[in-house]
This record gives sequence, structure tokens and C-alpha cells, in this order.
Amino acid sequence: MSTILSVQNISKRYGAVQALSAVSFDIPAGSVFGILGPNGSGKTTLLGIVTDVLKADGGSFTLMGALPSAVQRRQIGTLLETPNFYHYLSGYRNLQIVANIKQQSESDIPRVLELAGLTARQHSAFKTYSLGMKQRLAIAGAMLGDPQVLILDEPANGLDPVGIAEVRNLIRKLAQSGKTIIMASHLLDEVEKVCTHVAILRRGELLGSGAVNVVLARDNFIEIGSADSKALAQAIQHHPAFVQLLPSGDGVLQVTFNDKVDPATLNNWCAQQGIWLSHLQTSRKSLETAFLELTNN
Amino acid sequence: MLQIIKIEWLKVKNYRTFWVFIALGVLSILAPNFVIHDVFIKNIPPDAQKLLGQSIYDFPLVWQTVASVSSYTSGIFSLLLITLVTNEFTYKTHRQNIIDGWERSDFVLSKVFWIVSLALLAFLTSLVAVFIFGGIYGKTAFSFENSRYLFFYLLQITVSLSLALLLAMLVKRTGLAIILFLGYVTFLEQLLVSIIKHYFGNIGGLFPLQAGDELLPFPIVEKLVKISGPYDSGVYLAVLVTYIVVIMWLVFRKMLRADL
Repeated sequence: MSTILSVQNISKRYGAVQALSAVSFDIPAGSVFGILGPNGSGKTTLLGIVTDVLKADGGSFTLMGALPSAVQRRQIGTLLETPNFYHYLSGYRNLQIVANIKQQSESDIPRVLELAGLTARQHSAFKTYSLGMKQRLAIAGAMLGDPQVLILDEPANGLDPVGIAEVRNLIRKLAQSGKTIIMASHLLDEVEKVCTHVAILRRGELLGSGAVNVVLARDNFIEIGSADSKALAQAIQHHPAFVQLLPSGDGVLQVTFNDKVDPATLNNWCAQQGIWLSHLQTSRKSLETAFLELTNN
Repeated sequence: MLQIIKIEWLKVKNYRTFWVFIALGVLSILAPNFVIHDVFIKNIPPDAQKLLGQSIYDFPLVWQTVASVSSYTSGIFSLLLITLVTNEFTYKTHRQNIIDGWERSDFVLSKVFWIVSLALLAFLTSLVAVFIFGGIYGKTAFSFENSRYLFFYLLQITVSLSLALLLAMLVKRTGLAIILFLGYVTFLEQLLVSIIKHYFGNIGGLFPLQAGDELLPFPIVEKLVKISGPYDSGVYLAVLVTYIVVIMWLVFRKMLRADL
């Protein structure tokens, strides 16, 4: 699998704030790559550097295997933060400008307007658009020329629930057609539903990157409980597949094992240790829990 | 470059403010000559006119007259340029243009294109003014003598537009940039010129706009009060070209390095 974006030791400082410190990761072609992190973690700064609106203090990156230049940017559909258009021009005329900068044919404009649901309002001035329509026009602009790579910074920003669902469907459809999508978001729900890979940032530092299930390891765990939870806690640590006890309350223990452990076998094993389980349930850590564990430590 | 020009055209084609500015700018070159003709020619008694010699709208003096008049009124084009540049910052379209696939230098070139276009428009309008006023009001035959003044004017308005671009790039906000520009043009530079001239002599006349003014004295008045500069024309021309080069260097440097 080739690499679409390779980031090497990118650093960026705003005065006293270290927005990014030596961030490195690769984005494989065909992936839906989520850049995650709390607000202010450096997601937009990173995408700003990649799209050349910000200058890194250190480090380098390559786009599609080449040193970054306008040539690569023309092949990428980008939606960064807020939609930026000429207020006095209509949606259509704004897209004409985008098409010409991207050196794409203007004949693609009706298609993307339709895709964004703006055909009916294409000749209204941009300043008369609602926030959701502005965001849709930005999505239409990013889709011009059917680029193979998309960079989307909080693509659902400003959209209503229907709009959010539509954007999510659009992203999924695009991903299915083999496009690479690089998406910054703080909405884990969004990421869980569409991303194949993630990079996690916290205060400018990269906490991890790779396939979603590797970075945000969410081992299956088993909840067990008994009358004497202390004895259970001691005994379970001698189970041959035991990995760790997760913090939990209510006298119920959350235990992870290195093999898939069958609940019936586990029940049997506990009985052999003289402990009778009053609670037994297999569970999966939520993405949110995994994310919070990673970013809070 | 053609691609850049096409895109700039798309940006202004349906922008009403742009066309209002263009109309005002063209009028501001043509209209004052009517007024000046009224004041100078009609209101000065024929006897006095004889004393003054040639009419300011006779060839070859008309070249200097029109160039001098234009140099005072064509600040309107600079205000238009400030509006075009600061609009990009206000709408953040300067970022979008780069994101969509312009090099940062393309963005600067797109604005340099406007300097060249507006300067040429002012120059050509002034040329038309020379033909109109020299033809209608002048009593002498057409001549290219003194036409160099119109080229001096072209250089002066290029400096003025370059200053406007630099200011717009640095300030980024339309209102503030316009106020600062007007302040500089109307009194700030004059103040600096007076101070420097007082303490350091003629070198004070080499400020960007003052240099143009000293190169383009108004005829007749020039005979009454010495207002043309003490330096040779070549010095002023060299200084003006230097200003353009330095300003362009600053603008490119700023745009290529800064966070947008």
C-alpha cells in the first residue's frame, strides 16, 4: 500500500504554546484516516501545515510521495475549518474560481452542486446562505474534479442531524470507492463509524497512530463478581490467560485476558478455585473509554 | 499567468464595488481637467494669460498638466487595490486559494497583476485626457514633446499602488488600511517631508509620493513658485524604481513566510 501523506517530525510553536512537537506518521492510500484529539490538540494546525496555509517550525512531509507543492494540492479536495468564499459571489461563481485554481473543468460544477444539495440555490449570493449551506458549498468545492484524496477538518461542523448523517454517508461512499480520506474530528462517534486508521494528538504530541483497533485497543473484557470480590481479585490473577484488572467500581471486576476466554470455561475455572460467580458478562470497551484512557494519562 | 488573470477576472466581474471604483477612478482623471480649465483659462483675464505665455492645455504643456493633475487624484485606484487585497483576508479566501492549489507566490502575482492593470488604466485614461483636452482646449499642433511626464506619472502611480499593496498585506483590515493610506497620502508623508527637509535638506523630497510630486510639478505654478525638486529627474526615477523593487521584495517575503 503506498503512502499518501508522510509526516516527519513536524513541530510548530505559537509564542509560548507548543502546538505540535515532532509529530510523525504515515497515511496509507485508501484509508479513512482520523486525526483525533481534544480541542486545541493541534489537529487543525497539522492540516494547516499540510495544506501550506501554516509554516512548520521544523520537520517535513511528503504528499503522494513527492515534496509538497501546489501541484499536489490541486489533486486534493480540502475542507479546512470554516468555509471561505467570496461573499458577494453566488455559489456557482465561487465554484468557478475553485475549479479554475484546481485546473479542473467547470463542467463538473453542476455535479458537485447536486451532490451537496445546492442546485436550487446555486445562483444566490454566498452571503445569503445559512451556515449549513456554506458548509455544503465547501464540501462541493472539495469534491470538484473528483479528487482521490480528501482532507476534511470537522466536516460535520454547522450541519443539522440530517446533514451530519448525509456527510457521514458521503464519506463512507467515498471511502468505498477507494479514495483516501484524512479527517480531523473530536467526535468519536463520527470516527468510530467511518475511520479505518487514526492518529491521536494531545497538546501537540502524537500519542499513537495506526489502525483504529490497534491504537485504541479495545480488548474484550469480562465483568465478573462474587460475594467476596477481594478473594476473586486475588484468584483471577492466577488464571493462565489473565492480563489485567481494569479499574471499576461496584464490587464488579473488569478483567482482560490474552486469549478469547469462554464464559462457561471461566465460570468452571472459578468454581474450581472455590469461588462462585454472582455476575458474569462479556463486554467491549467503548471507543470513548479507550480514547479518554489514552489522552488523560 | 493567464490562468491567474482569468481567476482574478472571475473574482471582480460581478463585484459592483469594483466597477464603481473603476468608474470613479476614470472620472477622477478626466473631470478635474474640466474644472482646472474653467479656473485657469476662463477666469484668468486674457491679458494675464499672455503674461503666462502658453496655455496649460496647449501642446506640449498639456502632457505635464494632465500628468500632474492625474497624480493628485488617482489615489482612488490605490483604495480599490486595498479593497481587493483586504477582501481576501476578510473572507479568508487567500487561504482557500492556496489550499485549492495556488502557490503563495501566485497569490502575490495575482495582486501585482492589479497594480500593473490599474496603473496602465490610469496611464491610458490620462493619455486619452491629453488627446481630449489638448485637442479641444489647446491651440497648438499635436506633439510628443514632454510626453515623458506621462511616463513619470505611470511610475508614480505604480509606486502609490505598491505602497497600497504593502499596507493591505500588513494591515489586512479594509477600514484600517484605507484610513492609514489616506492619512499617509494626505498629511503624514508631507509632515515627514517637512521635518526631514528642515533638518537634513533636500533628501526629504525622496519620500515615495513626494518624489513623484517633485518629478511632476504643475506647469505655470512652477514658474511662480519653485516646486519642482532640486534633483535631476534621473535621481527621482531611480528612487521610484527602488521603492517598487523594495516593496515587492517585502510583499513576497511576507507572503511566502507568514502563517495565513
